[in-house]
This record gives sequence, C-alpha cells and structure tokens, in this order.
Amino acid sequence: MKFFAFIVVLFTGALLIYGTVDMPDWGDPGSAPNSHVSPRYIEKTLEETATPNAVTSVLADYRGYDTLGETTVIFTAGVVCIMLLRRFR
Amino acid sequence: MDTMQFIIGKFNYWIYIVLMMIGFYAMIAKRNLVKKIVGMNIFQTAIILFFISTSSKKGGATIPIIQGGHGDAAGHVIDAAQYLNPLPHVLMLTAIVVMVSTFGVALALLIMIYREYRTFEEDEIYETLEVMRLKK
Repeated sequence: MKFFAFIVVLFTGALLIYGTVDMPDWGDPGSAPNSHVSPRYIEKTLEETATPNAVTSVLADYRGYDTLGETTVIFTAGVVCIMLLRRFR
Repeated sequence: MDTMQFIIGKFNYWIYIVLMMIGFYAMIAKRNLVKKIVGMNIFQTAIILFFISTSSKKGGATIPIIQGGHGDAAGHVIDAAQYLNPLPHVLMLTAIVVMVSTFGVALALLIMIYREYRTFEEDEIYETLEVMRLKK
C-alpha cells in the first residue's frame, strides 16, 4: 500500500515538473503575474487610496470583498470549533 | 549555457514540488491522523511559497511600499518595475487564513475522534469499528 502511494506521489511530481517547463523564469519582470493588473495597483495606489503600502490597499480596498469572505471563513471555522468542542452534558 | 539558464530559472518550482510531494505522501500514506494533518499543512505551505515566488522581480525591486508615500513624493511618476508584485502577497494572506481555519477545524475533529476511540491510528479505529459492528 505504501509502495503504491509512493508510485502515485512520484507520478504526480513528475507531471508537475513537466508542467514547470512552460512556467516563467524566477524573477522575470515580464512574466504573466507581474504584467497585467499588478503594475496598475502599484502605480495608482497612492493616487486612488492614499496608502503607500500596496499590499494593504489591495487587501482592504481593491479586493475588499475577498477580505470579507476571508473573515467569513475564519468566523465559520471558529463557530465549528466551538460546536465541536463544547461539552453537551 | 542554455541548460544552466533553464535550471536556474526553474529550480525554485522544483523545490516547491518536492515539498508539496512530501506533504502529499504524508497525506495518503501515513496511518496516523495527526501526521496526515501535518502533511496537509506542508502541502499548503508549498503552495504559498510557490505563489510568493511568482511575485519576485529581478533588477533591484523592493517591497511594495511606495517610497516617500506620505507627503512630498505624491504626484511623481511611480515605476512598477521598482516594486514587487503585491497581488500574490494579498492572495497568500487569504490562503494563510484559510490554512489556519482548516487546521483548527481538523484538530477539533481529531479531539472528537480521540474522545470516541482513544487513539489517533487509523488501523485501530477501523478495528474498533469492526468490533462494534460485530457486537450488534
């Protein structure tokens, strides 16, 4: 069983390494994640949100709904933990 | 030196894949439930490292905080190549929150399992279930 699991892991790893051939090089300034929307965030963050820290402005301003969902997730996790660990007697 | 360039450009992905596969192996091969959860955490950490690595830019880029932000520098042109990509950092903040939430819920479930079966080992839980089924 462990041998079978090892084979599965090796196969998945080989598949992922084959997939990295098409990935952009490390630190490439013109790669896809660095080229479309993030330069606009960096250039406009001071002008539009008056926040020098681009991470803060994206987290709390441009993508505020994402953060709302994040707080929903952690609230749900807290409620589930309380429901599971409460002693019923 | 084309092969060398290829290896230098891609070896960070390979490190994350190795880390991810360690976590994957722990998730599917280990019999102890705590070790399975630790494997899941290693898996998620590998994904977080991968996303953070996509935000790097060569050529003197620094952290995504605009220099001289409050005050005199307002209005001057900002070059996006001078700052790292802020988007993966933000997404990984969310991912870290989800990771902590799943970890907490999984540990709570483990405490419930331990109260019921007095063990973390999958085999012993199956044995107990079999004994309970035969008793009925």
